[in-house]
Amino acid sequence: MASTRRGLLGVTGFAASALLLAGCAGGPAPAAESELSDDKVVIGLLNDQSGVYKDLSGPNSEVAIEMAIEDYFAEYGDEAVVTEEQLEIVTADTQNKPDVANTQAQQMYDRSNADIILDVPASSAALAVAEVAAQKKKLYINVGAATMELTGAACNPYTFHWAYNTQMLAKGAAGVVEDGGETWSLVYPDYAFGQDMVKSFTGAVEDAGGTINESIATPFPNDNFSTFITRAASTNPDVVGIMAAGGDLINFVKQFNQSGVRDQATLAVGLMFITDIHSLGVEEFAGTTFTDAWYWNYDEQNREFADRFQKLTDTRPSFAHAANYSAAYQYLDAIQRAGTDDADAIVSELEGLKVNDVFLRNGEIRAGDHSVIHDSYVAKVKAADDVEEDWDYEEIIATIPAEDAFPDVNPDCSL
Amino acid sequence: MEAFLQYTVQGLAAGGFYALAALGLAVIFGALGVVNFAHGSFYMLGAVTAAVLLDVLDIHFWASLVIVPILMFIFGVIVELLLVQWLLKLDILYNFLLTFGLSLVLVDLVKRQYGVSGLPYEQPAGLDGLIRLGSVEIPAYQLFVFLFSLAVCLIVWLVLAKTRVGMIVRAATEEPERARALGINVSAWVTPVFGFGVALAGLAGVLAAPFRAVTATMGSNFVIILFAIVVIGGLGSVLGAVVAGFLVGLVEAYGQGYAGTFSQVLIFVLMAVVIMVRPAGLFGRKEAV
Amino acid sequence: MSTDLETPIPTKFDVSDFDPQARRARSIRRILLGVVALVAVIGLPWWVYPPIAVDIAAWALFAISVDLLLGFVGLLSFGHAAFWGVSAYSAGLIAQNLGVPFPVAIIGGAIAAMIIAVPIGYLAVKRAGIYFAMVTLAFAQMIWFVANQWNDVTGGENGLQGVPKSFFGIELIETEAFYFYYVAVILIVLGAWLAWRIVNSPFGRVLVAIRDNPSRTRALGYDVERYKLIAFVLSAGIAGIAGGVFAISHGFVSLQELDWSTSGKVVLMTVLGGMGTLWGGPIGAAVIVLLEDRLATSGFDGIGIITGSIFILCVLLFRRGIWGTAKNLIDKATAAFAKRKG
Repeated sequence: MASTRRGLLGVTGFAASALLLAGCAGGPAPAAESELSDDKVVIGLLNDQSGVYKDLSGPNSEVAIEMAIEDYFAEYGDEAVVTEEQLEIVTADTQNKPDVANTQAQQMYDRSNADIILDVPASSAALAVAEVAAQKKKLYINVGAATMELTGAACNPYTFHWAYNTQMLAKGAAGVVEDGGETWSLVYPDYAFGQDMVKSFTGAVEDAGGTINESIATPFPNDNFSTFITRAASTNPDVVGIMAAGGDLINFVKQFNQSGVRDQATLAVGLMFITDIHSLGVEEFAGTTFTDAWYWNYDEQNREFADRFQKLTDTRPSFAHAANYSAAYQYLDAIQRAGTDDADAIVSELEGLKVNDVFLRNGEIRAGDHSVIHDSYVAKVKAADDVEEDWDYEEIIATIPAEDAFPDVNPDCSL
Repeated sequence: MEAFLQYTVQGLAAGGFYALAALGLAVIFGALGVVNFAHGSFYMLGAVTAAVLLDVLDIHFWASLVIVPILMFIFGVIVELLLVQWLLKLDILYNFLLTFGLSLVLVDLVKRQYGVSGLPYEQPAGLDGLIRLGSVEIPAYQLFVFLFSLAVCLIVWLVLAKTRVGMIVRAATEEPERARALGINVSAWVTPVFGFGVALAGLAGVLAAPFRAVTATMGSNFVIILFAIVVIGGLGSVLGAVVAGFLVGLVEAYGQGYAGTFSQVLIFVLMAVVIMVRPAGLFGRKEAV
Repeated sequence: MSTDLETPIPTKFDVSDFDPQARRARSIRRILLGVVALVAVIGLPWWVYPPIAVDIAAWALFAISVDLLLGFVGLLSFGHAAFWGVSAYSAGLIAQNLGVPFPVAIIGGAIAAMIIAVPIGYLAVKRAGIYFAMVTLAFAQMIWFVANQWNDVTGGENGLQGVPKSFFGIELIETEAFYFYYVAVILIVLGAWLAWRIVNSPFGRVLVAIRDNPSRTRALGYDVERYKLIAFVLSAGIAGIAGGVFAISHGFVSLQELDWSTSGKVVLMTVLGGMGTLWGGPIGAAVIVLLEDRLATSGFDGIGIITGSIFILCVLLFRRGIWGTAKNLIDKATAAFAKRKG
């Protein structure tokens, strides 16, 4: 229940922020006596805990954030600016509805005193929360959404885009072309995301010297792809690229495999998560290529993280779990360096930071558009016989260096 | 021409599947006067049950084709006895609302139990590869779905139109008073018929599992297409549901082939045209309500 | 099949029109309810988080618009999200591009919703009862497809972001939900009053007659379809006001506004609150919005299980809804009170 002091908010709110500003004007304080607003650091996890992105991120991202907190205290011990009592995590479910996400974000900042909001999958919800963050002048690190708008026209000083975006997803196509996939047919759902993906893929394929035979638009959502598959195969491409996501992607792949086209063309997927492979079964996807932001079994460091994660959740982490861990850890680390949780101070700590952690390899938090760039990977789904353990589905066939993986700073963005 | 034939075959294959899925909806309306909003959820439950049987008990597609409809029949009978029957005497809208509420519950129960990413399902043994029909190729499985759906639709139609059982059911629904006077126990037929309609939805779900994503929400948009089909065919008309199912399948295939994105909208355009020309639907007899 | 919505509404004549005792009871009731409503409208943002208060107000009016058709014409629209959503997009676009004060944008959105309601209504009212529900659902779905495709206008899946709340440059109203509420709620009350006027006019009496006995009304020389269509368009306009308020208050519009689950949600609110009363919708809206808000932070991931179960129970056992049941008790109490006075 909201308190009845709300009516005074206009006055007290200004007063409080004025006091805060005055407090921060003294410059970074020494670590021992930190400056924490309301004497707490509250991390808000706002994501889809009941809809299509539940398995990808969902409640398990809270575990990832707890792991980050644990590592922060392991790193700084008694030196830590924030004590365990002062740290709090609040969570809310967007139900995958942007209006719910928008209201919950306001409540997190206003009523739970969240200092930062993490995750927020789905473009429309992600953009709506970015607006709230800009209005409230509070931090927001997006992990779950792919839209370029977050670091484009809709960018703002308090929003960071941490893991992946539609243009980066297309970069893996170059690796496929070099692998012999010269000619492509693209099938895409005819809505914003699909159209973005087709543009990015067309660019990436042509830059690598391949050709696009045709791009076929499909309705969204759509259950029956048989006619589209026939059309895509009619030009005998080496590669069929599918830009659908979620349930539509699974519909497509099942029908693609039945159609026999698989014998003449390889399948490249625009946006696929390890949870998709897990749910449909590895044999349905075997040989499919896609761009991945992170893979749990890529090297020793990732594997160690994945083992810890599995002990707590009985499942392997997706890239979104690792990215939420990384975002939470880098945020706490920035508080440590700044000696305060003041949003503007943290923003200037993060901007331009070059960083390496379990998720970010050769990572850089770009000052120009707050896009967080890092090495990405071209992944190929293993054949069922090559899978040695549960979740061990991917073979990383190429690493895309950070500066190649992400597009240049978007001129539409002014911070 | 080549392409046109290919689309026609694909449209017929999809149409058979739509006809079967809409059939249960028409039967339930015909016999109980209930528009079953939960039909999409029953379809989803059929697919999910098949996937769970495969995963847990290693029961494969061919066995599921028999077992799942039986389970769904039992489930349908339970739903009818517990919920639907209490509202049969009231305005038709109440059961529409009730089954809407039921669909919300079923979808979220499955979501909680089996997650949201969907469940894997194998390709049925003996139905892989392509079959050549003259100049066009069609996946063997889709051809099977078409033939199987057609056979089921035909049997159901024959039973309802030509047999004593069908006569009793029709008499019980169209003229319950007179049927009662003739000593037919009307209410005894209602429950099994509802169960039968639910079993048909479950059967469509099993057929869908190998070529559609098996997820908690797989029936949510599907049920709206089914509504469009029964409105086009005429509510409660079994023949109408079947013909409209094929019609919608073809419209969708030609739409995908020639109009791309707008194939889904075309279905609703078709519905609007039918309503303008024949408000009761293609095979509807009179104002259904 | 005759409808039997279990809330009798006075049709042509009502004995209470001539019975002074009953008339007095009715005026006591009206004054009492007016006071309660006023307190609720003014106090809401003091009791609940202001953005949620705006949500409740918007959904309340949306539910009233559905009830206008369901309770008073006997038509269940299962596609009302079309009007809520079309108005939301239109209001959002007007606010973004013309920079007018937001109430103007909302009125513009409502007009757009009414325009779109004409062809849909024309086709839908040809059929009664359940056909009507299915046809409206299908058309709403069609609009959803179009909006999803039409990126340049709607922003597609990203939604229409950055809708301003301009209000004559008054900073507090534009930034503080608490103050915004008091401006927005005026539009909501206006919409509710409009619905109330429609129901309590000669036009409304004809609607109820159509609901209770369409063929007799037709025989009396009324053009039943035209009445239904007018009611449908008015209802769409009222839903449009609600959708516009919702869009402006959130500062963006998304496809969720056109989704069929939105249509389902508002029907749920209407039935839960009580059909055929106009007062029921707002109560249902408050319950559902607050419930969803609470569940969003509870970590329970099966919101449909709860709302669906409430709905099933409501339809099975409790068809008058919350308000219908309460009204019964109040009616009895005020009648007794008026008798004592008399």
